[in-house]
Amino acid sequence: MTDSPTAFRSARDSGYLLCSDCEKLHYLSQEGLHCDRCGARLHSRIANSMSISWACLIASILLFLPANLLPIMTFTTFGQGEPSTILGGVLHLLEEDMLMIGLIVLTASIVVPVLKMIALTILLCTVQFGLQTNLRQKTMMFRIVEWIGRWSMLDIFVIGILVALVQLGSIAHIEGNHGATAFAIVVLLTMFSAIAFDTRLIWDNGISDCPPDSTDHKDDQ
Amino acid sequence: MQGTPKHLIACHECDLLIERVVNQPDQDVVCPRCHALLYYTTLNSIERLLALSIAGLILFIPANLFPILSLHVFGQSQSEIILQSALSLYEGGLEVVALLILLFAIVVPLIQLIALFYISFTLHYRWEGRLLRQAMHSYQHLRGWGMLEIFLLGVLISIIKLKDIADLEVGLGLYSLAALIIVITLSGIFFNPHQIWHQIDLHRKQSRFYD
Ligand SMILES: [Zn+2]
Ligand SMILES: [Zn+2]
Repeated sequence: MTDSPTAFRSARDSGYLLCSDCEKLHYLSQEGLHCDRCGARLHSRIANSMSISWACLIASILLFLPANLLPIMTFTTFGQGEPSTILGGVLHLLEEDMLMIGLIVLTASIVVPVLKMIALTILLCTVQFGLQTNLRQKTMMFRIVEWIGRWSMLDIFVIGILVALVQLGSIAHIEGNHGATAFAIVVLLTMFSAIAFDTRLIWDNGISDCPPDSTDHKDDQ
Repeated sequence: MQGTPKHLIACHECDLLIERVVNQPDQDVVCPRCHALLYYTTLNSIERLLALSIAGLILFIPANLFPILSLHVFGQSQSEIILQSALSLYEGGLEVVALLILLFAIVVPLIQLIALFYISFTLHYRWEGRLLRQAMHSYQHLRGWGMLEIFLLGVLISIIKLKDIADLEVGLGLYSLAALIIVITLSGIFFNPHQIWHQIDLHRKQSRFYD
C-alpha cells in the first residue's frame, strides 16, 4: 500500500469547499456565504449532520415497535372485522400460497427497514468512533441503503389502494389503522437520517488505505 | 474572489481533491478513492429532457384522471384514481399517511416534471429563465421522493391480493401511469446535473437579465 499524504488530500484540508447543490469548487474562506452559481449556502460539511442523523435514526428505531405491533388495516366482511399487522399480512399471504408477493412485502416492510437501521448505525458509529476499516465498502453500503430505503413505502401504498377500492358498504370494506401512520413515519425518519448523514465524514478521520487508481487523460485545461 | 482554480474538482462523497480530467463522451469519471461517479457527458441532454418532460406532463393527466383499477363484486362496483387512495385514508382518520401518499405519488412527480420542463425549455430556447436556480434546486432536492414506481408495484400487489375475492378491471389510468414511470425514469437518466449547471453558467453569461 503506497500511502503518501499528498496523494489523498480532502478539499477542506487544501482550503477549498464544494457547493453541495451545484458542486462548484469555492475557497474555504467563503464558508457561510452563498454560491455565486446556484445561490445555495456554502458548507464544507452538512451542518449538524451527526446529531440530526442520530436523532432521526433513534426515533425511527423506537417507532418501529408500535409500527409492527399495532394493526395497519382492518378488513371487514359482513360485519366481521379482522385487523392485521404488517407481519400478520405477510403470514396471511404465505398461507394463501402467494409466496412471491409475500416475500416482496416481507422484504420491503421488514427486511429493508431493519437492514437500513443497522447500516445507518454502523455508519454513524464509524464516524463517531473514528473507525478506519472498509471505508469504501461502507460508502457503497450507504449508496445501496439510500437507494433501496424508499421501497419500504410499498405497504403504505398497498393500504391506500385497498382502502380506496374496497368500500362496498356492509358487504366488505377495508380501513386503515394507526400502525400504518407509525410505519410511514419510520420510513420517513430513516430517509431523513440518510439525507442528513454526510458521507465525507467517513473519510475525514485520517487518510484511508485505498491506493488511487491510475487516471489517464490528465489535462489542466 | 470567485476565481477558484478550474483544473481542480472535489468528490462530493468523500471530499477528495482531484485534478479535473477531460473525459470522452462515453467515459465516466470516477473518484479514485470512494468510486463515486463524479461527472460524465450526456449527449443532447437538454433536447431529450425537453421532449421527456412534455411527454410526462401530458401523460400525467390521464394517469391521474382515469381509473387505475375497478372492482366488481355482488353487482357493486368501485373504481379508483390515484388521488382517491389519499382521500380515503384522510377520511378514515389517517391524515399523515394520506398526506405522504399525496406528496410522493402526485405532488412531487408533478413539481419535478414542471421544473424539468422549465429548465430544458429556457435553456433550449435561451429564454430569460429567472427561476432557473430555483427549478434546479427543486428538481435536485426532490430526487428520490417521487415514488410512482413503488405505487405501481403496490397496485400490482393489490391486484394479486384481491383477485380471488372480486372481479378486477385494469383501467386506462394504469397504462398511463406505467408510461409516465418510464418517462420519469428516462428523464432521471438524462438529467446530468454537472452539465446542466455548466450550461446555466454559460446561459447567464450570455444573457443580460442577470446582474
Ligand atoms: Zn452552488
Ligand atoms: Zn470520492
